[in-house]
Amino acid sequence: MKLPLHLFTAIAATAIGLSACDYGGYEPNDPARLVPRTVDEDASLPSINVNGTKLHAETFGDPQNPILIVLHGGPGADYRYLLNCKEFAPQGYFVVFYDQRGSGLSQRHPKSLYTLKTHEDDLGAVIRYYRRSPAQKVFLLGHSWGGMLATAYVNSNPTVINGLIIGEPGGFVWKDVKDYIKRSRDFSKVSESLNDVTYVDQFFTGRKDQHQILDYKFMLLTEADGASDSPVGNEASLPYWRAGAVVLYALLDLGDELKPDWTTNLAQFRTRVLFVYSQNNRAYGEAHARKVSGAFPNVQLERINDVGHGMLSFPRGFANFFPLALTYLNGLR
Amino acid sequence: MQRTGIPSLLLVLGLSTRAGAQNINWQVFRDGPASTISVNAGLDYGVAFGVAYGRRVSTRLPIVVAADYSFPAGDKLVDDLKVRSGLQMEVMRAGRFSATVKANGVFRRFENSRALLQNFGSEFAGIAGYYTRRWFVAGEVTFDKAVITHVKHLKAATDLNPGLVTGWYIPTGGNLLTGVQTGVTLGRTDFTFKVGQVVSQDFRAKPLIPFYTQLSYGIRF
Repeated sequence: MKLPLHLFTAIAATAIGLSACDYGGYEPNDPARLVPRTVDEDASLPSINVNGTKLHAETFGDPQNPILIVLHGGPGADYRYLLNCKEFAPQGYFVVFYDQRGSGLSQRHPKSLYTLKTHEDDLGAVIRYYRRSPAQKVFLLGHSWGGMLATAYVNSNPTVINGLIIGEPGGFVWKDVKDYIKRSRDFSKVSESLNDVTYVDQFFTGRKDQHQILDYKFMLLTEADGASDSPVGNEASLPYWRAGAVVLYALLDLGDELKPDWTTNLAQFRTRVLFVYSQNNRAYGEAHARKVSGAFPNVQLERINDVGHGMLSFPRGFANFFPLALTYLNGLR
Repeated sequence: MQRTGIPSLLLVLGLSTRAGAQNINWQVFRDGPASTISVNAGLDYGVAFGVAYGRRVSTRLPIVVAADYSFPAGDKLVDDLKVRSGLQMEVMRAGRFSATVKANGVFRRFENSRALLQNFGSEFAGIAGYYTRRWFVAGEVTFDKAVITHVKHLKAATDLNPGLVTGWYIPTGGNLLTGVQTGVTLGRTDFTFKVGQVVSQDFRAKPLIPFYTQLSYGIRF
């Protein structure tokens, strides 16, 4: 009788003690251990200060050339996976990359400072930061969520942009976005990929202001998009420096609440748009591409063969995309 | 994608999983066979399958020493897993009403191409309900604490971020689980089911799967 009771007490006390003690290990929310530092934590990273935030940003090419601003997906990814687009610099373009507010290595903010409007305003501020004169042409290249952001900006500012390249944006009205997200996450319930995403929740939990923990969990989840059973058809996981979890949750919540429609003024944008989609993304396809791209009055729809959603990240996909995009840009410069 | 046949087999058998492994009908486990073994399946931060063993310790107060092993579905059987071991004790009985407490030590493992996580944690549960010799229904509250986690950053992570630090991280998380469990006893066989919700220790955030279920089939011997 006494022994089991003592044993129970000992195990319970040990378990309680494990929960309460400080073992001197690393604090998971400290910077630079689970995820790399952001530009406000590491002054050696290239950055710009615009619109009340500090953005991780890099440029390639002659600043006098036509500007090509590359917008990454997510929300919450970073521009690392789009660096192939540097190839436009030797072709006569001033290529600008930046991690959007709260994403990648850019500064983190409270959730309330991540809105659709602040993202549009940030893009406007980036254009003003780099543009030398009103005569300097500005082109946008947006992938996935980046294509949605580019379109939202054009919808709000139909006369600012001289050309637009978009790769597989989820949609320009919220229902299309939600439909695409649902299809892109259609994993088997007993797959390794899906359970790798959900199983981590018992290892790490973080409050909404614990960016390091939440970003780290998000990074672990991104592996699923490179899995062989992922509907988006990538040949491997996309390379990211650091995901931005809070900005993702903020913009998805706002989308559900506001149900944005970024097509209301697109009829005023008469410039031809290059809209590309990938052959291997089962969640996208030609039908969705035609539906989404139909919001533009003048569109060139192209399929990029032998690649999935990450069509700009891998050599084969980029080799198929680059000549199309360069021909398009050269036709507008 | 190639998948293991074991999860499918368990599903075909109608067996099903979640925390604490052994769901005990205390009215029948106070006497008779002292050991119980069960298989289970359900949702435990993903579709998961498990086996559990419990043994009643010879004592005036019913105490069960138990251990269980579970793993999520997928084509890699040993990269992700959870092992629990501990005690469950009846602390109060009034007629057919019974209250028990559980304390478990927990080891968890997770691996993908970016990281290998190995966690030591603890799990405390309180269960109270109405028990007959044929069936029972009870409510349960469990605190699942991920106390200390060793994070090994793997090549997919370090290739892009060589400065990441492999080591022990403390504390790393915790979730509160609240739910109900019920069961039917047929001879020496027990069929039990539990379901509940999961919320983070801050009572705000929720995991991607914010609930748990478990269907279990056990035999006493």
